[in-house]
Amino acid sequence: MSVVALSEMLGASVRDATGAVRGRVREVAVVPQDHPTRVAFLVVKTTDGERLVPGDDLTACGATIRVTGDAGLWERYTPSDGVLLLKRDLLDQQIIDVHGRKVVRVNDVELAAMPVGSRVTVDVVAVDVGARGAIRRLAKGAVPAFTMRALLEKIPPRVIPWQYVDLLETDPARRVKLKIAYGGLATLHPADIADIVEDLPPAERESVFETLDEEVAAEALEEIDPDIQVSIVESLDSNRAADIVEEMDPDAAADLLGDLTEDHSGQILREMEPDERREVTQLLEFGEHTAAGRMTTEYLAVPETSVVDDAIDALKAFEGSREALATIYLTGVSRKLVGAVPLVKIAISSPAAQLSQLSEPVISCAPDTPQDEVAALFDKYNLITLAVVDEHGRLAGIITADDVITMLRHA
Amino acid sequence: MMNLFRRGWRTRLMLVLAVIGPGFITASVDNDAGGIFTYSLAGAQFGYSLLWTMIPITVALVVVQEMAARMGAVTGKGLSDLIREEFGFRVTFLLMLALVVLNLTNIVAEFAGVASSLELFGVSKYVVVPAAAALVWVLVVRGTYESIEKIFLIASAFYVCYILAGVLAHPDWKAAAFATVTRPEAEGIRNYGYLYMVIGLVGTTIAPWMQFYLQASVVEKGVTPRQYRALRWDVILGCIFTDVVAWFIIVACAATLYASGHHDIGTNGADAALALRPLAGEYAYLLFAAGLFNASLFAASILPISTSYAVCEGLGFESGLDKKFHEAPVFYWLYTLLIVIGAGVLLIPRVPLVYVSVLSQVANGVVLPFVLIFMLLLTNDPELMGEHINSRAFNIIAWVTVTVTIVMTIAMVLTQR
Repeated sequence: MSVVALSEMLGASVRDATGAVRGRVREVAVVPQDHPTRVAFLVVKTTDGERLVPGDDLTACGATIRVTGDAGLWERYTPSDGVLLLKRDLLDQQIIDVHGRKVVRVNDVELAAMPVGSRVTVDVVAVDVGARGAIRRLAKGAVPAFTMRALLEKIPPRVIPWQYVDLLETDPARRVKLKIAYGGLATLHPADIADIVEDLPPAERESVFETLDEEVAAEALEEIDPDIQVSIVESLDSNRAADIVEEMDPDAAADLLGDLTEDHSGQILREMEPDERREVTQLLEFGEHTAAGRMTTEYLAVPETSVVDDAIDALKAFEGSREALATIYLTGVSRKLVGAVPLVKIAISSPAAQLSQLSEPVISCAPDTPQDEVAALFDKYNLITLAVVDEHGRLAGIITADDVITMLRHA
Repeated sequence: MMNLFRRGWRTRLMLVLAVIGPGFITASVDNDAGGIFTYSLAGAQFGYSLLWTMIPITVALVVVQEMAARMGAVTGKGLSDLIREEFGFRVTFLLMLALVVLNLTNIVAEFAGVASSLELFGVSKYVVVPAAAALVWVLVVRGTYESIEKIFLIASAFYVCYILAGVLAHPDWKAAAFATVTRPEAEGIRNYGYLYMVIGLVGTTIAPWMQFYLQASVVEKGVTPRQYRALRWDVILGCIFTDVVAWFIIVACAATLYASGHHDIGTNGADAALALRPLAGEYAYLLFAAGLFNASLFAASILPISTSYAVCEGLGFESGLDKKFHEAPVFYWLYTLLIVIGAGVLLIPRVPLVYVSVLSQVANGVVLPFVLIFMLLLTNDPELMGEHINSRAFNIIAWVTVTVTIVMTIAMVLTQR
């Protein structure tokens, strides 16, 4: 097996079985629907226009490319949608390096030529993002090929294996045909996805958010800078936006919708499920910089008469975010807040223990408490969550420590 | 009816205010140390007779800046990104290399402006230059885009200094206004020195780095194609403000230096301020010197960071102030070195600054044609620009502007001595 760089193949002469030069390579094409890595054909510039040379005809692939078969049978090349053209779509473009969790620019593409009988098959193996590819392209034509290979050997390669590459394609139809699904990206932590997305141009951001799973998209969106959040949500159609917003923490969703124009947030709210819509609209009514604006309505509360076992059942059924689970709240008649039990106490107590026995003194605040006072309460009582109660003493929502950290960092 | 009209007007104003910044700042920085000196010289040597250039220069500036801003808003990518993606690695590499050399000479010129303006107030350059360099470094590395933009917008406002200096010089307003709108006399054009000055005025107005900076800050600000109409006003108002400032500089020098026969004002902006002192009075002199300090420091803050962004994005190095030093080493090193070298050169005793300024003008002239042509090709690419592609009429104006600018710039390079 030998490794050949795309920049070496481009412009290389193509010789037929007799050894005669029939043209020069213009493009190298992969058809992902047929094979994810295999070179399907070359586009060769001949004296008679651009012709298509099937990958199956290749017998040698390097500085010179040899093919079998009759050059007279090469079809005329016509562009089509489902084809990945390595020079046009990959070289010099930005891609997502899933393993390195960042956006990088492609300096060169590495292909492997593997002899199979009398033919060779050529596959994309890696993308070069380092100095080696850069220097190869800079010196191409100026330095003899032999000297260049020797020189390049000395440069440590910086390549990304093809399986860790997520291509960026903004045209939805073409994306489907090229089977681009951001599969690698979806496996990353949402906060890492958020960082990557912030580095992308707007159209690419949008395309990532169109294809990510809603739950992943929602979590990533929560971590993105508010201005960019708005531009992403504005670019999505309201149906898709509603699906993502539904999956977000209600407080984050409310903050986001509060930043949109009324028209737009109204449109998204109309598309949302009634339950989620109610929660978010309630939160939207509060000022963003008050306790109520910062709180989430996804908390865990059980009746004051419950035992530890009931709390564990409730934990299992809980669908909100994990940050909210540090404390389990006890409510009495008409949802009045009467107690708070830290999760740790539940873990170490016997299943039949009364929760009211385990309860600690409740620290709470009113919905209109300013956010700096909220932060002061967290600091004073070393809280992980803080209950927000209305004027009747009913539990309205909770604020979690991560919200406070975000709040302080953006203050 | 009245009410409706007023609301429309208010909404539009709000839209403009929301995106104001990139165009205004870029155009303002255009009046840097070199620009101020050129305008002063134009006024001192030719009085009001060069004021007619201000209108065509404003048009040219608007045309070029508009393209950069539009590309930024539509593609969401920087100019060097687009050049890399459309024209390949080798072209980008050579262009970036040229840009680094070019901008380094410009940075030296800006720090020289900082030094000479404060020397007027009796502060030694051995104190000023390192302090200014440290200030610039910290400002950009420690600030966020929003906070820096605010500082820069305030700095832009300080250009009002020159307008005040112009008023204090008690010019003949009628003659100045008349000279602005009449066509030049044929006699003047045959004069070599006059022609050289015209070329100089055009040459200092449109610089390569501005296009990279403007497009990058439009992207950074997150301006979308829908907000673009408002952005265009930012660009146009910025260009007009800049040239109004330039107009007042010329007028101030024409009313005093030219009127009293002082045609030679030395070799830099500080000399121009000194020459003004006995003629225009103490206040005009102080305003002129303060304006020069502001302009030079402003440009010195923008050039290094804009260069680092352009180069790193084009060549695919990690970039961005949100990254840590070890995550984006090339970016931070390039930024730091541009400042250290740019400021350091000035600390060498008896360094021939005149040559540096000549070199920066020449480098500007060599790089500019490529940048402008790339910009025209990019803004004419339907795959990239979609419906925001250049219109036919715009293209005619743009090609004429670009051709004239290129010819003028090359002429200036050839006549440099």
